[in-house]
Amino acid sequence: METVGFLLDGIFTSLQWFNLVLLIFGCLIGLFVGAMPGLGSVNGVAILIPITFIIPPTAAIIFLAAVYYGAMYGGAISSVMLGIPGASTAVATVFDGRPLAVKGEAMTALTAAAVGSFVGGTVSVILFTLFAPPLAEVALRFNAPETFALMVMAFATFVGLGGDDVPKTIFSILIGLALSTIGLDLITGKPRLIFFNIPGFLHGINFLVLAIGIYGIGEMLWTLEETKGKVQMSKLSVNMKEVGRAFGALKKTIMAMNIGSFLGFFVGILPAAGATPASLMSYGITKQLSKNSKEFGEGVPAGVVAPECANNSASTGSMLPMLTLGIPGSPTTAILLGGMILWGLTPGPLLFTQEPEFVWGLIGSLYIANFFTLVLNIALIPAFLMVLRIPFAILAPVIFVLCVTGGYAPTQSLHDVWLMLLFGIAGYILRKLDYPVAPAVLSIVLGPLAEKALRQSLILSDGSMGIFFDISEKPIAAVIMYIAIVLLIMPAFGPLYRRFYKKKQTA
Amino acid sequence: MSITNKITVKRAEIAVAVILALCSIALMIKSAENRITWNAEENMGAGFLPFYLSLGMLICTILTIIKFVLKRSPQSKDDNPFIDAVAFKFIAVTIISLVVLVLAIGYLGIYFSLIFFLAFYLRYFSEKSIAFITIFAITTPILTFLFFEWMLKIPLPQGISEPLFYPVYDFMYGGFSFAVKMIFIILTVVLPTALVFLTTRFIK
Repeated sequence: METVGFLLDGIFTSLQWFNLVLLIFGCLIGLFVGAMPGLGSVNGVAILIPITFIIPPTAAIIFLAAVYYGAMYGGAISSVMLGIPGASTAVATVFDGRPLAVKGEAMTALTAAAVGSFVGGTVSVILFTLFAPPLAEVALRFNAPETFALMVMAFATFVGLGGDDVPKTIFSILIGLALSTIGLDLITGKPRLIFFNIPGFLHGINFLVLAIGIYGIGEMLWTLEETKGKVQMSKLSVNMKEVGRAFGALKKTIMAMNIGSFLGFFVGILPAAGATPASLMSYGITKQLSKNSKEFGEGVPAGVVAPECANNSASTGSMLPMLTLGIPGSPTTAILLGGMILWGLTPGPLLFTQEPEFVWGLIGSLYIANFFTLVLNIALIPAFLMVLRIPFAILAPVIFVLCVTGGYAPTQSLHDVWLMLLFGIAGYILRKLDYPVAPAVLSIVLGPLAEKALRQSLILSDGSMGIFFDISEKPIAAVIMYIAIVLLIMPAFGPLYRRFYKKKQTA
Repeated sequence: MSITNKITVKRAEIAVAVILALCSIALMIKSAENRITWNAEENMGAGFLPFYLSLGMLICTILTIIKFVLKRSPQSKDDNPFIDAVAFKFIAVTIISLVVLVLAIGYLGIYFSLIFFLAFYLRYFSEKSIAFITIFAITTPILTFLFFEWMLKIPLPQGISEPLFYPVYDFMYGGFSFAVKMIFIILTVVLPTALVFLTTRFIK
């Protein structure tokens, strides 16, 4: 019952006029960002975070969460109309959304996507409300060793479940951590890694510099290369009859909605996974379980509903570990977590007792944001189609202006703008060679927290690493650590398993 | 054979791996300026974490190089160009103009640099008219100014152009009423737009 009271408070908080205006504004920006090919929630949140410094944290998180949410809805628009995913989270939406548009049923696809997103979003917010308070209560008993073990597990998930090249993934994690050690050492106070004695390095590298560099500049370079500034759009007729017919077609997608919502939520909780694999997985599973699985890929509404349900559900799911454990579940939540530190909050379970307005305001706003985004999405489809006609050659410089100003604003130093540019170019080149970039962003955010937790644990144990592995002393930390080790060595067994399997088949 | 064809994915992969390995070694050397030891008696040295993190990076790059030599990674067998010629033009011009933009910000200040950056970028890549480009290049910095300096109260770098902004600041923080300030904001956007519009009409 207590939860219901908190939730109602949270909903009222998010309905205060200032928060509500920011929420609607955030939904609109999110829809826009999601709809633009190449830009997704992570880019929107990274570029916009510097402008949230002057508003209260609750309003800031409501605004950014709305952007995150809106982008999940918006991604479907360009997947359907252009055949280019608006964001990586909407890749699976192209599989059936594009064929529907080619058949002249674009409105069915867009309505299915919007309703699917709404269902996924709502189910996951309810799950979130149920799971968050008990998880936070458990997490309250966590000390430095447990926190450090959790962070190691977050890094290990990238290696075990990320599916990218293992040395390149570990490199990405380590470079993020190494970059986070630049600046003054928090225990001895000594300056570390001050290259060429440039004073700008003394204050360390703000995670935003890396995030905006990679997700702003780097992503724009990537998209410029992919599209070369040109895109081709499908025709669309919008009338109420079409919308009505589209709703009728949704009756057959209930199974897809269930799979997408529940699978999405639980995949979203995992640190490495996030919305992209969630949407791909639920598309695959829905296809396998469907009676007419052969029609998938030729344009069935269920093929649009499943991934759209899942990506919204996963985006909410990824906020669960961010709020309760202080461990982000996706690159976007990693940036949100960094934002929380910049706003002066301490991420983790204490937020639930110390900052209930912030936590419940965010949870309440998710319910409201879901509703507004559904309405805005369907009502503004013609407007978003106009947005998609904006040539990339005009959009790109505007994003660059936002990146440069956003990179400068937090520390007011040009040094950071140079670094951001450098990270952007390096990130673009590394991404072309299949180095995953998300682990670096996650680890530069978690780096200082992980170092603090590690050093506190070692002070507790008089310098012995055994504190992380002793089941009788610290059972939770030890179990988490052993899971992390399993995740780390898992990729090594992949080739062995395949070889064994092949032998068995040939035998 | 153009330069973009010479840089294949294969060559880029090994070149990047070697550069990253060298960077890791440089990081290790730099970390060693602080104490990199750690044992039960002494606390962890300030250089300990960065040193071993960069050692880990070095090991990862060596593994990447070994995979390359053994032809185990997809990039090690890929003879396609790393980037095609058309895209290369886009990327190279973008990167160079961004570098020039940041250089110019330090000297000219952000607002004037942005005018030149936007004008150049749109002229080079889009097929928009001169009037559109001029209006766009002028109104974007004005909106940036209003947003950052007025709404957020975050000063952006102004370089040598700083004295030009003193009268604006006097106005912003002077005792004018809200209505007067709003009219000023609207005029700062509308006036240049109208001016450019009329000038281009007149020239035609």
